[in-house]
Amino acid sequence: MNVTVATAATTAATNATTARVEIRFSAIDKFFHRRHLLDDLSLSLQGGRALLLSGENGAGKTTLLRILAGLEKPHHCMVDFTPAERHSKPRPWVQCRRRLQREVMYLHQLPYMFDGSVSHNLALALPRAMPRAQRAEKIRQALQWAQLEAFQNARAKTLSGGEKQRVSLARAWLRQARILLLDEPIANMDGESQARTVKLLHRLKNARAALFISSHNSDAFRHLIDHRLALENGKLRPGQCPR
Amino acid sequence: MPSLADATVQALSLLILGDRDLWEIIGISFRVSVTAIAIAIPPALLTAFFLAHLEFPGRRVLISLFNTLLSLPAVVIGLVVYLLLSRQGPLGDWRLLFTQTAMVVAQVLLAFPILVAMSHAAFQAADQRAWETARTLGIASARAFVMVVGEVRFGLLAAALAGFGRIIAEVGASMMVGGNILHYTRNIPTAIALETSMGNFAQGIALGIVLLVIAFALNLSLQYFQGRGRLSL
Ligand SMILES: Nc1ncnc2c1ncn2[C@@H]1O[C@H](COP(=O)(O)OP(=O)(O)OP(=O)(O)O)[C@@H](O)[C@H]1O
Ligand SMILES: [Mg+2]
Repeated sequence: MNVTVATAATTAATNATTARVEIRFSAIDKFFHRRHLLDDLSLSLQGGRALLLSGENGAGKTTLLRILAGLEKPHHCMVDFTPAERHSKPRPWVQCRRRLQREVMYLHQLPYMFDGSVSHNLALALPRAMPRAQRAEKIRQALQWAQLEAFQNARAKTLSGGEKQRVSLARAWLRQARILLLDEPIANMDGESQARTVKLLHRLKNARAALFISSHNSDAFRHLIDHRLALENGKLRPGQCPR
Repeated sequence: MPSLADATVQALSLLILGDRDLWEIIGISFRVSVTAIAIAIPPALLTAFFLAHLEFPGRRVLISLFNTLLSLPAVVIGLVVYLLLSRQGPLGDWRLLFTQTAMVVAQVLLAFPILVAMSHAAFQAADQRAWETARTLGIASARAFVMVVGEVRFGLLAAALAGFGRIIAEVGASMMVGGNILHYTRNIPTAIALETSMGNFAQGIALGIVLLVIAFALNLSLQYFQGRGRLSL
């Protein structure tokens, strides 16, 4: 998995010395009815690295991502939050569910917008105790970060798919999410929107977030990803590395 | 026996001239039913939310149970509360029979199933992503619950209005556990029953008009909020 990608983005990330998050999942099993959708899978996510998950429709990508985020119950799964440390010990998924929900951020394919303005939706990602002025400043930065200034007061539910995706990424940025699972983040987007989204993902990766992206369109991410995985018949196979 | 037209004219004059007893009865109706709905709403919301979002054994049975209670006649609830509160009943020592409190208890029980059933439908129609997004943003579950409630507020308001509509016009249970005592437990529906049996049609019609106006206002709001609910998806 030690692929060096020669883009300015990843070089900056690999040069940094701060401790990275790492989380390891093993023995993931999921059945639907009699179908063994996920069959004894293992994978680990590391800060500053981007993984691309491909697979046919119905292969189980969404299900896998949701299990990793603590949103969907697997039949079996072990989670290790500090695999690199000496005393680390994998624990069953049920015991880790809350921590996964807190630390692993799953972004829906169609992001959900709460009733209210774009600013309101961004504010939800900030701690409630944050002072008003600081909150306003953070939101301003986030609007700028995601090029959403023009939509600041727009009703979030009325945004286009691409704009909602940017709000969703801005929320992740505000929340300083360390582990991001993105379900088809650029599906149904035109080239311009795709490019903007990928640009934001680059920034998140440079800020040392771990990215796990499910997508049918691996080409759009070729400069971003370090490794590919393909989900096929319940198994994860390493895909060929980009370029 | 006066003609319907004469009685109606009399009824309108009673309402407009502000007949003391009449307006007192209307006040009692509102006090009891508003209290009952306010007490019933919080536990009903929580129950509905858990039924909609949690998988646990017996969930389906519970949902069916609430849907069955929906069609339970009010007099049966009245009977149960009567037996509980009567002197020989398990709660007889509380001396609550024939009080407004007893009426509130009966109306809470009447409103609860309809509140649960309709809120459950509202929560089920709620986007699952709302809850998940809130959790994913690091929001504590209590506040996430409030946020989901906010997202489906029109559906929940419709539930509250329907529940209120059921108890404000209900006669059987109020009569049995309230006792229809003037100035105390006589509310609109029990007064109508009594006035009619005594031949005071004007009073009956006046109160009937009030109920009609309430029902119309509730239905109008229901239409409005249900429409809003659909639009806000
Ligand atoms: N709650 C469920 N109950 C039963 N089957 C389910 C459930 N959720 C998903 N499935 C099934 O599991 C399979 C995998 O679904 P999933 O959404 O994970 O696939 P996917 O790889 O994300 O597909 P796509 O590329 O279309 O998004 C599908 O066949 C789906 O029908
Ligand atoms: Mg999917």
